Amino acid sequence: MTTIDISQVSSLEELDALEEALNKEEEECDKKIDELLSNRSEIEFQLRTLSKKLANLKPVEAEAKHFAEVIRNTATLAEDVSAKVRVLDKAKNRVSECQQRVNDLLDLQQCSVGVATAMQNEDFEQAAAHVHRFLTMDENLLKHTAMDVSEGKNMDASFHKLHEAEQKLKQVVIAKFDEAVKDEDLASVERFFKIFPLLNMHEEGLGRFTTYLCSKLRETCQKNLTEAKLTRDKDKRASVIYADSLTLLFEAIARIVEIHQPLIETYYGPGRMLSVMEYIQKECDHQAKMIVDEFRKHRDFIRKIHIVTQYMNQKSETKIDPKELDLVLSELTLLNARTELYSRFVKKRVTNDVDVSITDESEKSEKLSNLDRLLKDGDTFRVMQVVLGQYILLEQYFMAESVQKAVEMDTLIEASSQESFVLSSMTDDVFFIVKKCIKRSLSSQSVDGVCAVINNACGILESDFADLLLSQLRQGFPSGYLDLAQAYSVLQSSFQHGKLQGSDIEKSRAHFVAYLNNTDTSMEYVTSLKSSLESSMNDSFGQHLTPYEKDKITSCLQGLASVNIRLKSVFEFGLSQLKSSAVKPRVKPWLDAFFHARTSYELDEDQFTDDSVPMQTFISDLDSILKSFKGCLSPSAYEAFINLVTTEIALQMEKSVLKNKFNRIGGLQLDKELRILVGYLTNATTWSVRDKFSRLTQMTILLTLEKVSEVADYWGKGPVTWRLTAQEVRQVLSLRSDFRSEDVKRLKL
Amino acid sequence: MEDYKFLFKVVLVGNAGVGKTCLVRRFTQGLFPPGQGATIGVDFMIKTVDINGEKVKLQIWDTAGQERFRSITQSYYRSAHALILVYDVSSQPTFDCLPDWLREIEEYANTKVLRVLVGNKTDREDREIPTYVGEDFAQRNNMYFMETSAKEADNVEKLFMEIAHALIEQAKVREPVSEYKGGAGPAIHVNSSRNNSASSESCCGRLL
Ligand SMILES: Nc1nc2c(ncn2[C@@H]2O[C@H](COP(=O)(O)OP(=O)(O)OP(=O)(O)O)[C@@H](O)[C@H]2O)c(=O)[nH]1
Ligand SMILES: [Mg+2]
Repeated sequence: MTTIDISQVSSLEELDALEEALNKEEEECDKKIDELLSNRSEIEFQLRTLSKKLANLKPVEAEAKHFAEVIRNTATLAEDVSAKVRVLDKAKNRVSECQQRVNDLLDLQQCSVGVATAMQNEDFEQAAAHVHRFLTMDENLLKHTAMDVSEGKNMDASFHKLHEAEQKLKQVVIAKFDEAVKDEDLASVERFFKIFPLLNMHEEGLGRFTTYLCSKLRETCQKNLTEAKLTRDKDKRASVIYADSLTLLFEAIARIVEIHQPLIETYYGPGRMLSVMEYIQKECDHQAKMIVDEFRKHRDFIRKIHIVTQYMNQKSETKIDPKELDLVLSELTLLNARTELYSRFVKKRVTNDVDVSITDESEKSEKLSNLDRLLKDGDTFRVMQVVLGQYILLEQYFMAESVQKAVEMDTLIEASSQESFVLSSMTDDVFFIVKKCIKRSLSSQSVDGVCAVINNACGILESDFADLLLSQLRQGFPSGYLDLAQAYSVLQSSFQHGKLQGSDIEKSRAHFVAYLNNTDTSMEYVTSLKSSLESSMNDSFGQHLTPYEKDKITSCLQGLASVNIRLKSVFEFGLSQLKSSAVKPRVKPWLDAFFHARTSYELDEDQFTDDSVPMQTFISDLDSILKSFKGCLSPSAYEAFINLVTTEIALQMEKSVLKNKFNRIGGLQLDKELRILVGYLTNATTWSVRDKFSRLTQMTILLTLEKVSEVADYWGKGPVTWRLTAQEVRQVLSLRSDFRSEDVKRLKL
Repeated sequence: MEDYKFLFKVVLVGNAGVGKTCLVRRFTQGLFPPGQGATIGVDFMIKTVDINGEKVKLQIWDTAGQERFRSITQSYYRSAHALILVYDVSSQPTFDCLPDWLREIEEYANTKVLRVLVGNKTDREDREIPTYVGEDFAQRNNMYFMETSAKEADNVEKLFMEIAHALIEQAKVREPVSEYKGGAGPAIHVNSSRNNSASSESCCGRLL
């Protein structure tokens, strides 16, 4: 409500205005009062219900307060109880510690008395058991306890005795162990070996024990090696006797592990195999080296390597007959295979042991990397890496020289009893050699070895072998008057006489054909070599290949695919030679004769004939050349040859057609003749030749139309996919002498 | 099946300990392996990279530098598209061996192989081979040149990417039917007469 200051009113108008405002205000006030009064009964009613409810709330409050109190009390109680339990627990621990100490004290005395008796009775196990018990006690704590119960003097004496006994026992056990070793008393060796860990002498025990085992190993190996050197040449194993010696060494170690691992695990606990193997490996290294040295000496290995290296580096012309290397190559792969096998054995044993005994990941991976180093850098493995390298070198030489020999002794042969086509002996021989070498490398069990030999094989095939084929094909297929049938008979008769007979041209033809077949057959051989090797991989390595190693070998085998790419290009070169010297020069005159046979393709109805003589002449010429090649080309080379001939015919024919004039009858005649030709060729080959003639066929469609306008029925609709351009369609239509050139020009294409 | 447009084989060679394995692992795994042990035989790794939107698969063969693995590693030269010859800029002896390595390359590798000289370990304070000496050697022998640090990841990515780039360029200008050149193994002369093969060599490129 506004406050009114009368003194501010200075005029009547202002007073009037004020009065009016006040009146208005009064009216509003009245209205409000009326409203409020009308609500009164409602409000009073609500107030009454409210005050009734209020009365109910009182007891609720009281109850809540009560609850809070109860909870507080319970909490305090609980805390009290748990504090008491804690105290009790502490007390109980103290009591059991106390008991332990009392036990220790009692045992201590017993031990010190017992150890003396046991030592006197030479019952070293008992003595060691006492010392072991004593070593588990906490000396300082015991001394404290003893002071409290004034047992100090007594106990000091016991400790003193036990320390003495410990030292003495250690000496005795070492002495006794060494004595047992000297006496070769295996039972005692094992007896004292078991005592070391009781005296906390694990490393000492393992060290001495493995030294003992190694000395046994050394003896066995020396004996084996001496026997090996005395092996007579006639002996069945003579050629692999050093691989056998190495096998015996590894087997002896495996036996040691088999027998002693359980013993070691029982008395020394798991997790000891890495150090055991590290000890044994030293002896193994020593023995393996000796075996390999003897191998080198007795197999005249150094000389062989020297000659081969000199020859390969083109520093000398002296060679070794590859046959002389055959046996030593096998033995080399065996040496390597045994080592791989042994390495896998050690790896598996130690890894398992590490897995069960060590939980800490970083400690585990450190142990495993130590193992890895042991198996990579150990002398045994280094020596074998050298051996493997030398194997690869000799295998490379063997492969290259054998291939060279096969080439030098190359003669023409019939492919097989079923197939009469001719190739030369080197194809079979070269692939036999290559396969033999790669298979031999597989028996080395070394992934790197296998990969290297595959790489080298691919090298020989892709460069030297393919170059040879190419150079032979490059001499070309001599064209000339004589027919191929004669070359073929030359080949046939050469088998009877062991030498190529006939004129120089015939000889060169036979030679060329044989080399084309060689190339084609080689591609098949490469493909089957690849797949046969892929399956051999699994047979040779079994489960041992990791995915990484598999990938590595697969990548190298992929090299064979490159060989085929190269061979294919050589083959195509050969075909192109054939094309330019045997196909083109013949097809052209035959077609010329065919088209000249009739002066014109503008024929009358009665001139139309179903069996066209010119076409029959053409086909019989064609048939003779195809037949002569069919006999002497390999099936797939023959397919390629027909393909080539067909393409050439289609091309030449197209050209000739465009030089002629036609009317509709003439078009029908050509159509008829083309059908005869395609029918003949379809019979001559296994794949469809129709595709090759589709342009020509489309030309005959145009040449047989009744009216120019009919083109519209074919062009841009219907089943025909046009191989001719619009321009070509016009050109063909214009060959029709009965079509008006304006109509042709006006065509919308 | 696999999605790439080019596959190239890259082979690393050079003395033991120059850092071939570290270079490869830096490139393929992006790390510098602590306590890298000497390579045994040959290691093989694959990395697919993207060069101007084209997927290029690099098959990387990391050879062992130690002498006793030589006959294994030599078998990889022939099919290599690129050869990376590595030396250690802080070790004169590894540089002095380069001519020997080049001789091997001449003997075994394809004549068209892309050859790259790499001086590794540029992060080391005790450098013995100044950059220009390496550069000069590379130029005289027709090689690409780069200095790297596998440890600091310096130029490593660049090295392999540039090789991939160059190989693509080379592949694109090559004739569709590739001829075989060089890489002839030393011991084999398949032709009955040695002269014959020599003469055929010269016209091989023209005919195929
Ligand atoms: N400072 C430095 N050290 C490096 C570099 N690259 C490699 N190293 C070290 O050089 C040593 C040898 O490296 P590797 O990569 O194993 O050498 P490698 O050429 O593969 O040796 P092999 O396999 O025996 O032929 C290792 O100790 C690496 O840590 C680098 O860029 N800088
Ligand atoms: Mg390495």
